[in-house]
Amino acid sequence: MSSVAASSLSDSSAAPKTPRPVLQLVDVRKVFDGFAAVDGISLDIEEGEFVTIVGPSGSGKTTLLRMLAGLESPSGGYITLRGELINDVPSNRRPTCLVFQSLALFPHMTVGDNIEFPLRVRKMAPEERRRRALELMAKVRLPEDYYAKNVMLCSGGEKQRVALARAFAYDPDVLFFDEPLSALDYKLKKLLEKELKDLHRESGKTFVYITHSLEEAMVMSDRIGVMRAGKVVQIGTPEQIYSTPADRFVAEFFGEVNVVPIRRTEGGWLRRDGKPVAVAPGLSIDGDEASVVIRPEYMRFVTEEAGADNTLSGTIFNEYSLGSRLQYQIRSRTGRTFLVEVPRAAAWKGDGEVTIGWDAANAIVVGG
Amino acid sequence: MQTVGRTRTHFLIRAWTVFVVLAIYLPIACGALAGLSKGRYFAFPVRIFSTEWWGKTLDSFEIHVLVQNSVLIALIVTVLSVLFAFFGALAFARYPWKGRRAFQRLLLLPIFFPQPVLGLALLLWFNALGISPSWKTAVVAHLVWIVPVVTLVIAIQVFSFDPVLEEAASDLGASRLFTLRTVTLPILWPGIWSGALFAFLLSWGNFPLSLYTAGADSTIPKWLYSKMVAGYTPMVPALGTMSTLTAAALLLGGGLIRLLIRRRAELRAREG
Repeated sequence: MSSVAASSLSDSSAAPKTPRPVLQLVDVRKVFDGFAAVDGISLDIEEGEFVTIVGPSGSGKTTLLRMLAGLESPSGGYITLRGELINDVPSNRRPTCLVFQSLALFPHMTVGDNIEFPLRVRKMAPEERRRRALELMAKVRLPEDYYAKNVMLCSGGEKQRVALARAFAYDPDVLFFDEPLSALDYKLKKLLEKELKDLHRESGKTFVYITHSLEEAMVMSDRIGVMRAGKVVQIGTPEQIYSTPADRFVAEFFGEVNVVPIRRTEGGWLRRDGKPVAVAPGLSIDGDEASVVIRPEYMRFVTEEAGADNTLSGTIFNEYSLGSRLQYQIRSRTGRTFLVEVPRAAAWKGDGEVTIGWDAANAIVVGG
Repeated sequence: MQTVGRTRTHFLIRAWTVFVVLAIYLPIACGALAGLSKGRYFAFPVRIFSTEWWGKTLDSFEIHVLVQNSVLIALIVTVLSVLFAFFGALAFARYPWKGRRAFQRLLLLPIFFPQPVLGLALLLWFNALGISPSWKTAVVAHLVWIVPVVTLVIAIQVFSFDPVLEEAASDLGASRLFTLRTVTLPILWPGIWSGALFAFLLSWGNFPLSLYTAGADSTIPKWLYSKMVAGYTPMVPALGTMSTLTAAALLLGGGLIRLLIRRRAELRAREG
């Protein structure tokens, strides 16, 4: 994990050379009326890192972020910032800043006043405030004449930039983001994701981002943590999470997958239909139940010329176009649904009765 | 066909508007005219016009005291009711707490209670407590009825206030007081302003509560009523017209001041 953080630091000039956790969480919990929204999370976030926490709604990620920002106090555990315990430090005394999901821009103020708010709190002189605000506006690519514009008259993307500039004006050590891009349309979201990544690199600040969108997490993050029911189930680089999910939940959360339940017997691992399963060597699974997870792009049609380590037969009952790729839904003899995704050039030409398969090297086996 | 229909609709809308405006303002205009009559008695049409009664009204010591009482009561009621109602509205619309629903219902009740009965009940209470009724007890009586109304008015504004804004302010380093001054109050201002206006006008025009609880002190509505019942003079419509005109002037002035403040803020924002 530390090697990952180090590589992300090498291209950010402002960050110190030796990685050390800027934010440290030890067994942090938050209990609401007997319900543990955050159930014992331990996590080190390195200086200058871009960490994304993903999870379905209700997994506790927003509560976690609110505790880090000081808007909620933990029921247990420790949060330290640069080695100092900050459990009970109120939000206005923390060198951290949160970009809210709703952005929380002050509706009665202009763009300039919004950005200058944290500077006004610090009693900075008006001319200097203005200079700084205009600097930040240039940084987030807001035109200069927006300075006196009513913030409520800005578009969604512009509001996003104002919120970002305001957070930067506070000059925090760590920036938190609570799904700020979730309300934007796809194209704008993609653009802002890239800009955010650029800002992260240029500023060298530590970013902690939460989202329920896998794509957002994959594009921007140095590390991704996956949350489920108040716990972090896996943390690692986007590549690690994608290719070696810790369990079926992580695998399924990260997009459409095919799942084949298997069980251990004396003769090796068997599928439900009794056929043996070829798995990659060196598999270590506790317990006798496991699942083979195969992404649709690794599932393919088996013909006489092109065999596969594992095969099963079924019937095509749906075909979708994904643009450059085609996706087929196939129902197996045992009634399970499988997804096969192929390039458009490799469209299936035969009839509806097919044999599909996958190679052991392309499948992931997870416990449970 | 379409345009004919639209023209007819427009005509009907205009006719209705004119009718409503006339229905509202004609009686007021008649009252105003009655105050400008030279005659001693209330009669239409007015035979000879004169400003005699206006002059008498302006010179009358009795009326000075009345106006003073009414203004004093209305001002005190405005300040106190906005103060109570502001915090009441926060409790009403902002924070979830045990018993909030009961509080919301309880608060509404006095508004629906008939005012003469409320006034009488309060008078009985003041007697029982040994407090002799005066303009001060009238202030208390007005508050009982007006605070709930103002609370509702401000609560509407509070409902639309997003508490996340306060969290954001705090997250950006602001203290609670700074947040209240720069975020919460400015956003709630329109509600507070309307609440204050309501409080003043409701107190200024209140008759049933003042009748029972102001004791020997008289207010404008109280005096108008007593003169209508016995001892009519054209000073009644004159004073009525004056108080209407004053209220209109105050409203206009308030609006103007708000406009000026906004202009100045915009100008400042443009200049930086």
